[in-house]
Amino acid sequence: MTAAILDGIVLGLQFGLLGVGLTLVYGLGGVLNLAHGSMAVVGAIVVANSMAAGAPVLVAVGAGLLAVGVLGLVLDATLMRPVYRLRGESRVLLSLLLTLGVAFVIDGLLVWRYPIGSLGIHIGGDPVEILGVRMRTGSLLASAISIGAGTVLVAFFRLSTAGRAVRSVIQDEVGARLCGINPAAVRSLIFGLSGVLAALVAVTRSMTAPIPTTAGIDFTILALIVTVVGGLGSVAGAFSAGIILGIVNTVSSFYIGTYITTIMLLVAAALTIVLRPSGLLGTRA
Amino acid sequence: MTDRLPESGTAAVTAVPSPAPTSVLQKYWPIIATALILGLVPLRYGDSRATMGIAVAGVLFATYAVSFNIIFGSTGQLFLCIGALAGVGGYSSAILADRAGLPLLLSMVLAALVSSALGAAFSWLVVRRSLDVIFTGILTLTLSLSFSNLVLGQRNWTGGETGLVVDAGSETLLGDQIPPYYIMLGLLVLFLVVYRLLQQSHIGWAFRALRDDEVAAELAGVNVARYRIYAGAIGSAMLGLAGAVWAHSEGFIGPSTYAFGSVDVRVIVMVAFGGMGTLLGPVLGAVVFTVVDEILVSFSQLREVLYGVVIIILFLGFKLGVISEFRRLVTRLRSRPGRRGRASELR
Amino acid sequence: MLEVEGLSAGYMGDDVVHDISFRVADGAAVTIIGSNGAGKTTLFRAVCGLLPKSAGRVTLDGADISDLSAHRVARAGLAYVPSERHLFPQMTVVENLSLGAFPGRPDPKTMAVVLDLFPQLGERQNQRAGTMSGGEQQMLAVGRALISKPVLLVLDEPTTGLAPKLAADAYAALAVLQAEGLTLLIAEQQVPLALSLADHGYVLENGRVQLEGSAEELENDPEVRRAYLGVA
Repeated sequence: MTAAILDGIVLGLQFGLLGVGLTLVYGLGGVLNLAHGSMAVVGAIVVANSMAAGAPVLVAVGAGLLAVGVLGLVLDATLMRPVYRLRGESRVLLSLLLTLGVAFVIDGLLVWRYPIGSLGIHIGGDPVEILGVRMRTGSLLASAISIGAGTVLVAFFRLSTAGRAVRSVIQDEVGARLCGINPAAVRSLIFGLSGVLAALVAVTRSMTAPIPTTAGIDFTILALIVTVVGGLGSVAGAFSAGIILGIVNTVSSFYIGTYITTIMLLVAAALTIVLRPSGLLGTRA
Repeated sequence: MTDRLPESGTAAVTAVPSPAPTSVLQKYWPIIATALILGLVPLRYGDSRATMGIAVAGVLFATYAVSFNIIFGSTGQLFLCIGALAGVGGYSSAILADRAGLPLLLSMVLAALVSSALGAAFSWLVVRRSLDVIFTGILTLTLSLSFSNLVLGQRNWTGGETGLVVDAGSETLLGDQIPPYYIMLGLLVLFLVVYRLLQQSHIGWAFRALRDDEVAAELAGVNVARYRIYAGAIGSAMLGLAGAVWAHSEGFIGPSTYAFGSVDVRVIVMVAFGGMGTLLGPVLGAVVFTVVDEILVSFSQLREVLYGVVIIILFLGFKLGVISEFRRLVTRLRSRPGRRGRASELR
Repeated sequence: MLEVEGLSAGYMGDDVVHDISFRVADGAAVTIIGSNGAGKTTLFRAVCGLLPKSAGRVTLDGADISDLSAHRVARAGLAYVPSERHLFPQMTVVENLSLGAFPGRPDPKTMAVVLDLFPQLGERQNQRAGTMSGGEQQMLAVGRALISKPVLLVLDEPTTGLAPKLAADAYAALAVLQAEGLTLLIAEQQVPLALSLADHGYVLENGRVQLEGSAEELENDPEVRRAYLGVA
């Protein structure tokens, strides 16, 4: 049981990282990026290919994250422009449709390039013992990266001026503009950052166990669930929800079964929407 | 709610009321024309089983699209569970007819009612909790995904991965693709007639009012909640019925038949392309995208990529849907003084 | 300091304010008075870059800011405090104030000055802005604007929702600021208060400037007295 919960917490951190980007993009601009998961897989593939070409782990990871960051910025600069010109519901719908198209393009290209798709990032080394539980170096590195990224992120938002600026745009965009903050620049930055975070998750997941190249949609749906349960627009919410759902996921998969586990996560999202739409820590009225 | 993609054509057209069409012909000529045109397809392609198979699927998607149009196009509820609602109808009817031995027609009707109840329940939730587009979408998405998982998991009832052979009704329909085509077409015509009737009834009026400005509609006495639930119930019933008819006419259903990726995505694109809130928009969208799908089949590996590219180009260009754009163009031309002669020529 | 020439602006194609011209001299306090719907807020939003203009020019300290977006106008030294305040509700008083100095960190001296000017803010430094009263929020909004050390402070109806004593206090604080060299532009419905502080004023009606003059001239103008001061 301890093993399951520990695993669940690490998984939960990854869930959180996956959801943070999506929730921020929504909080800042009221748009939903359905290509989120696909972008993550692209990052993992770049990392895997770099390592296959001989690059050391950290350099490869850096390359992968950079690639996705650039992809995110490009998408923001091109497709998201017409989306931001609209308001309210039209904006949401167009963002859904355009990013869905992007998801198709990316997934399609990945399936075409890697038809027997599954990618794993192998980290060598003997298993290590933590709290009486044996963990492979891959899992260990994945956990370390996840925890590190999570901490940096939280510190960024709580303590730095830039992080505060991002929060300000979510809370009151007009107020942010009056303080000299450019909301469009913030949105672009966070769009790119959200891709990087998602890619980080895909990379750490594939360090633990191989992921299929079609995992993009699954990641997106997972991110959606975490975002909804945590509260749209809340960073702390995404992490809280992530950890809770991570533990639920691991414990339930272990003791019950995968189909039911998936349904449980979906039902968690559904119940949140119906009973408490603002999620755990969301700012919605 | 006032920022919804507007059904701009109708708003302008109804503002200047023309004398109400009286004869059946005047009211229903678009439907009749569509029925005739689509009815001619087997005459040209009847020989090819493959083509007819595609054609039946195309008409099926048109029925899905018209149903979705009622739910989303008329009342703005983003039900991302089109396939699931159709699937509930399909599997229910199959189980009722094969396992419980109920007569075919009764099974299908009951199946439609089950879907209808489910859809109405979701509408009720949407209304009760004042859910906006994103939450409605995600909520219904969880239904879709849960349905997929249920189908895979509950093997004794649904056949799981391998799918379910549907015996009832297949003796009359299996083999020759032409009668199934006309059955589907008949269903489509029925749905279009229902849509038309709704449009011209007080329900349709309420739909338009609440789409334009929900608050104003409430203040004017329109019970927004009730009409949303009507839309959910009617649209879902239609989806369930279509799903059931499909199950019996195909004789076989599996997890991919009603999956989100196979159904919802395509239907949404079809309706958005053709024009939401219009009568024939969904049909146009279904026809166009059925053809597009066939063209892309030869590029099977890159099909998904091309589909994505098509979606992106489409929505960057036609944000309102073809028919709505066309209508807007027409009303804009109409409203220019001294140009009436030319505008009517254009139509 | 601020020159506005021929400004017209509005919403959805229809102009609400037409051909407005006015000046605010360095170190002066200028007020724009007018009743509800006269167009004061629209005018200010257009000047500050929140609303696109259909015509006209705005110059700040010699530089043309007509086409600048709101955040650039803010960085150019024009601090705008709208009547809705637009604070960050989940952030504390200190966090709100700090963002006023974006992109930099706030100058500790300026921070001290602001907290001194508004002691209630000093008492509530870690309170969330969303939980504060109207008067406190107004002070916070002004304080946030001041942290950026602006050359021009623009206030839209700063006394909205304030009890008379608080309103008077607010104007006393503004007088102090003006004495220290800050240029002020204030839109006001409460005409007596506005004229007590301002050197110069403009009367806005139906989107156009109807009258202008020194504070004294306006105070003694029969139309102003009748319409805004309630004197027969």
